[in-house]
Amino acid sequence: MSKSIDLQQEGIEVKKSCCYFCHQNCGVLAYVKDGKVLAIEGDPSYPTNEGGLCCRGNIALKHLDHPARVNYPLKRVGKRGEGKWEQIPWDQAMDEIAAKLAAIRDEFGAEAVATAGGTSRTDDWARRRFMNMFGSPNCFHNSHLCWIPTFMVETAIYGWCPFDLDLGASRCLVLWGQNPGASSMPEMHHIRELQTKGLKVIVIDPRFTETAAKADLWLPLRPGSDLALALAWVNVIIHEGLYDAEFVTEYCEGFGELADHVEQFTPEWAAPLTWLTPEQIRESAYMYATSKPGNIQWGVAIDQLGKSAGAAMHARALLRALTGNLDCPGSDLLTGPSQDSITDEEMEANDMLPEAQKAKQIGADRFKLITWPGYGRIAELAKKHWGKAPTAEWMCEAHPPSVFNAIITGEPYQIKALLVSATNPVNSYGQSKMTLEALRKVDFMVTCEYWMTPTAALSDYVLPIAGALERPTITNSYGCADFLLCSQRAIQPMYERRNDYNFWRDLGMRMGQEEMWPWETVEDAYHYRIEPLGYGAESYDEFVDLYRFHFPEREYFKYKRIGFGTPSGKVELYSSTLKDLGYPPLPEYAGPVENELDDPELAKEYPLVLTTGNGFMPFHHSEHFQIKELRFLRHEPRVEINPATAAELGIADEDWVWIETRRGRIKQKAALTQGVAPRVIVTERGWWFPERSMAEPELGGCLESNTNVLTSVDDEHCDPFSGTWANRGLLCKVYKVNGADAKEGK
Amino acid sequence: MARYAMVFDIRRCIGCHSCTVACRTKNELPMDMIYNPVTTVGPTGVYPNLSMVHLPLICMHCDNPPCVDACPTGASQRRDDGIVFVEDKKCVGCLACVMACPYGARVKNHESGAVQKCDFCKDRVDEGKLPYCVLTCHQKARVFGDLDDETSEVYKLVNGERTVRLLAELGTEPYAFYIYG
Repeated sequence: MSKSIDLQQEGIEVKKSCCYFCHQNCGVLAYVKDGKVLAIEGDPSYPTNEGGLCCRGNIALKHLDHPARVNYPLKRVGKRGEGKWEQIPWDQAMDEIAAKLAAIRDEFGAEAVATAGGTSRTDDWARRRFMNMFGSPNCFHNSHLCWIPTFMVETAIYGWCPFDLDLGASRCLVLWGQNPGASSMPEMHHIRELQTKGLKVIVIDPRFTETAAKADLWLPLRPGSDLALALAWVNVIIHEGLYDAEFVTEYCEGFGELADHVEQFTPEWAAPLTWLTPEQIRESAYMYATSKPGNIQWGVAIDQLGKSAGAAMHARALLRALTGNLDCPGSDLLTGPSQDSITDEEMEANDMLPEAQKAKQIGADRFKLITWPGYGRIAELAKKHWGKAPTAEWMCEAHPPSVFNAIITGEPYQIKALLVSATNPVNSYGQSKMTLEALRKVDFMVTCEYWMTPTAALSDYVLPIAGALERPTITNSYGCADFLLCSQRAIQPMYERRNDYNFWRDLGMRMGQEEMWPWETVEDAYHYRIEPLGYGAESYDEFVDLYRFHFPEREYFKYKRIGFGTPSGKVELYSSTLKDLGYPPLPEYAGPVENELDDPELAKEYPLVLTTGNGFMPFHHSEHFQIKELRFLRHEPRVEINPATAAELGIADEDWVWIETRRGRIKQKAALTQGVAPRVIVTERGWWFPERSMAEPELGGCLESNTNVLTSVDDEHCDPFSGTWANRGLLCKVYKVNGADAKEGK
Repeated sequence: MARYAMVFDIRRCIGCHSCTVACRTKNELPMDMIYNPVTTVGPTGVYPNLSMVHLPLICMHCDNPPCVDACPTGASQRRDDGIVFVEDKKCVGCLACVMACPYGARVKNHESGAVQKCDFCKDRVDEGKLPYCVLTCHQKARVFGDLDDETSEVYKLVNGERTVRLLAELGTEPYAFYIYG
């Protein structure tokens, strides 16, 4: 008994909207009547998803009007975290927040206000625009753990990050720490299509993932040992003569230094570090280097290695250059920023932030690559080469753990206010106990959210934010792609929800920034951005209705015309930009943050290797646990353990187990699987329990099964380039929970 | 007359459960009902020599459907185009069809009292659209169409690839076909 709604009925409009539940922003057709969305389906004419929607996309209507949504501005009454709220008008909330921020700026300086942003739910340039004019350099995201360090290392070496794959003509795809089978479905579909036409797929992953199961070659490496593998690949490609001599000679600098440097990193050297055989390492390097053209797709795992992350990105980046797999048909393309539209960076007003304030950015003294020292230098080079810079709101961030630490200790100075937008830091940042302490301690916190998350529950104000169907969206790889995929809102925001754009604008208007916010609606701002494309549309919505996409024509071998955007104009295998920032110009080896070779004593107590943070269906980050139409698929957190290890530890399938590192312990349910090596433990991330009390001390059980309790943000575990912290390659122990109701202390 | 069939390409399915969630959401099913579960088999083998497959299931829309024969009230029916469906107003919830179905494809709705199952989204099909599980499948692991139409994708797959039917030995002649690889 199909309950299909008559979509032919009079008065129905079809809106070209999109999904918002991951970075793909799959195209959605929304059937709208009288301001209500009656139905949605995947848009068959959208180029990526072609009508497909994953399970999250399919619950969009449940998300739109879920009974647990926050729909009105809430002001705390009673103590922080007590769970008592008063509904107030938006204007009152904005007046009070603006007054408080002004008072903090007057007393402690603008830098005492920090903002935390989430993933792909927000108008990030608007936040940066506000903060630049307010005068604080302390914006941050989880971006450290996701692509941004890679973007910056690769841009330092080749002048842009080649994240655009020319897959159609490719013969080999390396999925390095990436599992599109669980995290980017449209991509997985295209990969599969191309495999039937001869594309070779290499998956590098400790887990036997959905994607590994479909690969031509699976390299199950030790978690956190990616750097050793990448260096060994570089060694094989150089010393076994697999490199593209012509490209290297003509267009690269520093080949001799690199060749000498990597002589030591043989497959035989890497084998014990990676738990692979020298033959596996050689075979895979040959497959990539000789199946030309080829691609190495970015995967999030390397961004999460901590200490060795920057060097691993560097080594991986060199592989493309050595094989000539840059900007040629079938390879990884250097598109540069959009030349045709107004980029995110151009909307950010970064020159409004005084140099003296830039210098105060927390973490810029230690982690220079994605703070003002590194960003400033790379943006300058990019502007010289491309005329435009990468987005600052992502590529130039305060170091989040250091901001949390500053809240707790007052060092290097006091952070008094935190504006949180679309993120739940206690579940998504490292060392959750410390993060939670900071959230409890910060003087003033405002959270823009869909739900009463553990973070929102600790706030002074919680503001209801519009979701996918209620707002327009431009998808362009965080302002770093040269193409645009545009979507319109299906309906105006329900209840009293607003776009975060309007939050930042309204705040700006109250703080003397009127001239900088000429666009009353997001559509007005987006129209301003797309006008230079020259389509002649009267409004943003009209552009979406008539055109929707903008794909500039690809120009291959651009480097033959304009060189590379580095100081030398060549690919800098020996990186002068990294060297100028005080980092090694060639990738130096460092082991996983915790490992049995460097820390044998630690390994006695914590003998197992932990990896955390892999995405899993049906959730995304710490989201969707309250939606029963998804939760039934995975109602409790699971930790993957090899059956042999479980047997040694007396653990049966579905037992609750503690997973413990030096930082703390969490409990998840044992899922016995051959899909992980006997010494490897794989936890699920994100978990909290919205069905529980959201007041103190329970706070939705936000520490109980939260894998970030286990991760490390210690300075010596962070990547010295970028400050990205350690989610992979940690040491842990696992033991059975006695009594499933056992709880870790708050 | 059309003869509707669905082909499942097991080589493409990644076990993401989009079809399961889409179907339940579109059909507004209670939480204890699923028309189209996906079972993951594996990883099988011993690390690191492994394989894993995902097996989507639905009502097989048999040519010789035992559920229709078993139904005492005529609620379970087979259309001329092969779609097997339940007319819920006629269903008394006796479960005879549930017991007759060898594929476990039928479930009683405890809210309405009627037995329900996948009907290939017949209302969508009648409008010329794809069943929702097919549209929503990112991997194109499901192909739906008219097996009597020689130009259709299902015709080409069923006649060009090695397909199998589940429990073929029972003689129910299911119109769901599986490609294993």
